[in-house]
Amino acid sequence: MCFGPFPLHQTMASRKESAASGSSPLETPVKQIQIDGLVVLKIIKHYQEEGQGSEVVQGVLLGLVVEDSLEITNCFPFPQHTEDDVDFDEVQYQMEMMRSLRHVNIDHLHVGWYQSTHYGSFVSRALLDSQFSYQHAIEESVVLIYDPIKTAQGSLCLKAYRLTPKLMEICKEKDFSPEGLKKACIGFEIMFEEVPIVIKNSHLINVLLLDLQEKSTVADKHELLNLSSSNHLEKSLQLLMDRVDDMNQDIGKYNTYCRNLSKQQQQKQQYLQRRQQENTQRQSRGEPPLPEEDISKMFKPPQAPPRMDTLLIAGQVTCQSVIFMGRSLF
Amino acid sequence: MSRFFATGSDSESEESSSADEITPKATGTTFNKNKEAFTPNLILCCPLRFRFEELTNIIKTIRNAMKIRDMSKCLEEFEQLYRAFLKSKTIVDKEGVPQFYIRLLADLEDYLNQLWEDKEGKKKMNKNNAKALSTLRQKIRKYNKDFETEIASYKENPEQSAEEEEKDDIGSASSKSDDDDDEGITAKSLMKKKPQEEEKKAPEASKFLKGAADEESESDDDEDSEDWGSDSVDSGGESEDNEGAAASLAVVFLKKAQDGDKQHEPKKDGRRKRHKKIEQVEEEVDEDGEAEEGGWEKVKGGVPLVKEKPKMFAKGTEINSAVVIKKLTEILQARGKKGTDRAAQIELLHALSGISNENNLGQGILVKIKFNIIASLYDYNTNLAAFMKPEMWKKCLECIDELLDILFENNNIFIGENIAEDSENLAISDQPFRVRGCILTLVERMDEEFTKIMQNTDPHSQEYVDNLKDEGRVCGIIDRLLQYLESKGSTEEVCRIYLRRIMHTYYKFDYKAHRRSLGLQGETKSEQDQEESEGEDSAIIMDRLCKFIYAKDRTDRIRTCAILCHIYHHALHSRWYQARDLMLMSHLQDNIQHADPPVQILYNRTMVQLGICAFRQGMIKDAHNALLDIQSSGRAKELLGQGLLMRNMQERNAEQEKIEKRRQVPFHMHINLELLECVYLVSAMLLEIPYMAAHEFDARRRMISKQFHHQLRVGERQPLLGPPESMREHVVAASKAMKMGDWRTCHSFIINEKMNSKVWDLFPETQCVREMLVRKIQEESLRTYLFTYSSVYDSISMETLSEMFELELPTVHSIISKMIINEELMASLDQPTQTVVMHRTEPTSLQNMALQLAEKLGGLVENNERVFDLKQGVYGGYFNRDQKGGYQQKQNYQRDQKGGYQQKQNYQRGGYRNQNQSSY
Repeated sequence: MCFGPFPLHQTMASRKESAASGSSPLETPVKQIQIDGLVVLKIIKHYQEEGQGSEVVQGVLLGLVVEDSLEITNCFPFPQHTEDDVDFDEVQYQMEMMRSLRHVNIDHLHVGWYQSTHYGSFVSRALLDSQFSYQHAIEESVVLIYDPIKTAQGSLCLKAYRLTPKLMEICKEKDFSPEGLKKACIGFEIMFEEVPIVIKNSHLINVLLLDLQEKSTVADKHELLNLSSSNHLEKSLQLLMDRVDDMNQDIGKYNTYCRNLSKQQQQKQQYLQRRQQENTQRQSRGEPPLPEEDISKMFKPPQAPPRMDTLLIAGQVTCQSVIFMGRSLF
Repeated sequence: MSRFFATGSDSESEESSSADEITPKATGTTFNKNKEAFTPNLILCCPLRFRFEELTNIIKTIRNAMKIRDMSKCLEEFEQLYRAFLKSKTIVDKEGVPQFYIRLLADLEDYLNQLWEDKEGKKKMNKNNAKALSTLRQKIRKYNKDFETEIASYKENPEQSAEEEEKDDIGSASSKSDDDDDEGITAKSLMKKKPQEEEKKAPEASKFLKGAADEESESDDDEDSEDWGSDSVDSGGESEDNEGAAASLAVVFLKKAQDGDKQHEPKKDGRRKRHKKIEQVEEEVDEDGEAEEGGWEKVKGGVPLVKEKPKMFAKGTEINSAVVIKKLTEILQARGKKGTDRAAQIELLHALSGISNENNLGQGILVKIKFNIIASLYDYNTNLAAFMKPEMWKKCLECIDELLDILFENNNIFIGENIAEDSENLAISDQPFRVRGCILTLVERMDEEFTKIMQNTDPHSQEYVDNLKDEGRVCGIIDRLLQYLESKGSTEEVCRIYLRRIMHTYYKFDYKAHRRSLGLQGETKSEQDQEESEGEDSAIIMDRLCKFIYAKDRTDRIRTCAILCHIYHHALHSRWYQARDLMLMSHLQDNIQHADPPVQILYNRTMVQLGICAFRQGMIKDAHNALLDIQSSGRAKELLGQGLLMRNMQERNAEQEKIEKRRQVPFHMHINLELLECVYLVSAMLLEIPYMAAHEFDARRRMISKQFHHQLRVGERQPLLGPPESMREHVVAASKAMKMGDWRTCHSFIINEKMNSKVWDLFPETQCVREMLVRKIQEESLRTYLFTYSSVYDSISMETLSEMFELELPTVHSIISKMIINEELMASLDQPTQTVVMHRTEPTSLQNMALQLAEKLGGLVENNERVFDLKQGVYGGYFNRDQKGGYQQKQNYQRDQKGGYQQKQNYQRGGYRNQNQSSY
């Protein structure tokens, strides 16, 4: 999974100009997201054309902030490219794209990105990192997660997520050690916040949809009525199991770390005690005490495993189990 | 050092010890002086003066240093002086030690002693000087020992020493020539003792000596006179020594004539001796070779052996056994020596055997000679890896044959390796002959050579076939020796030869016995008679030989080999139960890893043969187990000693590779690797496919055969599946068909023309094996079908099943019953309608997965608890335990629940509960 589209500073600068004239969105975080029907259609189309199986498609969202809501009025896909295609410059492409859109008088402000997901397996390090860089550069950015499988079953599944301020801070400090996370009081529940979505269709979109409804065949409609969801259930169960395995592994790692740490602490204590005893003996004999050695050098604390991954997996598990529940209720 | 001063006053012991060293000098000088007389007009530059000047210069500095008490300087200069003196040794040798040198040595010693005594002076000395003083004192003491007499005489009479010195010179010269006469040393020995500093002279001297041998000393003398010119003039150049030189010259000149005579005499002596003492001469030659340049050795080396061999005995010598024995020992002594021509030696021995045969010297000697011929044939290749040349091999076989002939003809010959050399009786024919030597060892060695020849021949060439024809002869020889030893040898020897016999029998399929057991009546009676008279079944032979070894052998190795061969032979002839029982009873599996590699290879071969045998008998599981170890490593080729693997080339060096090559089994004993792999894969397929079908959803499912799975995966990875080509592809395709329960397709993939020609036709009982296979495929397909599709059926008629799989109704009935009993199939049999009624209780895949997930989550929670425990640390101990207990209780509850589920469902597939039972 590659990183999402890049937040561009240039666009941020231009956005600030416009923001200066409007209200001050930095004060009030985004409460609601209004998505234009066009954007939804474009995203669906993008996946339909390029996404296959577990492959993920990504794109850039454009729009603007109006008071406490973010309006996403347009988007463009991010082309998939292979590793050996060295010449391709992502940043350049994005710039070109936005410039061209501006020329045709479309909102060209960068407000986030979208990504498709495979059975809800989107909570990952890559997503965290790119969303962080987005939110870092453009405060109001969101990531739209589109679940094509569920959508294909008849219910549009589109979710908007933002990183919580707490997580933002941790990411800024890049301190993922157990202590750091503990201090920040962060749990997997408060890593992401979901922002409610409102989809607003223009008349033209409505017309188009009605047109499409007319065109769709009976078979397509029957697809929606298919009740046997066990196939999907199995798949998501499988994924859930894999995540649990990962989680188990991580916990095991953490466990050994904890044990090592406590063992070392004990050794350190013992050493110090012995040292002290010896020193008192020496003092009684009138000899100079032993020189102080650097204890931290002798007892290097074991490398703490980064806990962020565990958190992410935990988040993923919750997310997937929720999705699973949703499916099984079908 | 003392060799320069072999004066009359020298002690006796010194003289005798250094006598050899003196003489060359003497001759050297002799010729020098001699020559000078002939060529007085030659004037060359004067190294003597140069050297002496150097010496005097150093001495001067030393004296100066002495005066100023500079000890370190003194030491330095003394060392220099010592070196300079060594350099001028050649001159000194001739001229004697210059008087000034002695004088200095004496003075220096006195001076040092004086200083040493002077304690106060010593204290005043600085550290360097004091150190130098002690060193110098020690050195000079040691050094002066060599010049004791001179120094003594000098000290007695410091003034007259110069004159005396000259006298000494004369005296020494005469005494030296006296030594020459006394010792009668041959020219050769003189020359090889030349000290190093005369390297230049050595070749010249040797030339001269050769010349003497050719009786052309005159011309050589002339040559020499020119060569020695420079030295001769030197003596003239030194005015001091003039007188002495002249005097010694006269003496030497007189001596000359004598010397010449002396040198011819030893030569003749030597030649006379040479006939008898070839080996001695050789020894000398060898030594010479070391002492002199290579060219010199070459001339001498071959001469005594090659040229003089044919006329072994002088004409007219009466040839009796004593002479022949002596000759034999002579020849044998050259054995193993460097530079011995081994081919010539063999020739020689052959000639000797001919002579002894001609002269009727008795069998004892003949046997002895034969022994030695064979031994030297083996010796011919010094390299262990090299193999015998064909002609050598032929000769060797003939020789052993002849030897055995003699031994059979003459009962009164005792041979043995324990018979001491001196207690041998070779000649006296009225007593039994006693000959040292071990025919068994020779035959064993012959067998090894045969193996080596086979290893080193290209197995696909005609040559290999030709060589293989000799196997009959080898076996014949072993058989004859076996007969011989049965009557004469000890039990150990019999065991050893039995093992050899077994080794040549165990891997051969006894077609005769096979045909007989089939009871083919097509042959005429006479043929049958002939067959019977040809010999007993190999099985009976093996049985007899092995049992003897089991009973009598005391070395573990022979018994182990015998057991393995016996098992192999049983397995080869499809006597599965005997083979298996023997293998199990021998407990070889437990400790075979401690055996040496060849035995391990034999063990591997045996296991493989056992597995193939089990397969032929339809014991699929046994076959799989027997072959698993060999096949799972992927190194079957290496483990069976049938070839080296390329991939670990970097892991072993050339040496190891050689050793491994020596272990290889000759090609005609190979086990077909493709057959082996096919047998393994097919048995794995028959086991694995039903197992996989039964445990489709089991998370803890284990693989029965990794290799089989690997092949399946390889097959799956193929982007385009054409019709199978290789054996493996056939098996993979068959497995896929079997997975669907399609036994007909599976059958057609396993048994078709391609597979027949590749694999199945290699078995002796092809038809039986194929029938067995078809039946197994049908049965296992039925099982797989039931596992896979039972969830689709409510009930299924057994008749339908029997039609589908072309099995008889009772068989189907028994298979299904077995599955039900083993709880592999949740169903019951309805007797009146002959149907299988499914219980439809198996959880769906989703349920299975949910169960798995529950299990995993349980593990996760447990892990989490553990972390929590740690966090709580010491304080939370009590509380913690409680909590944990609570959790465990909860878990128990859960388990109960699960149990309830199982009870309710009651027929969960056996895999969960009977993990052990169903895992092979």
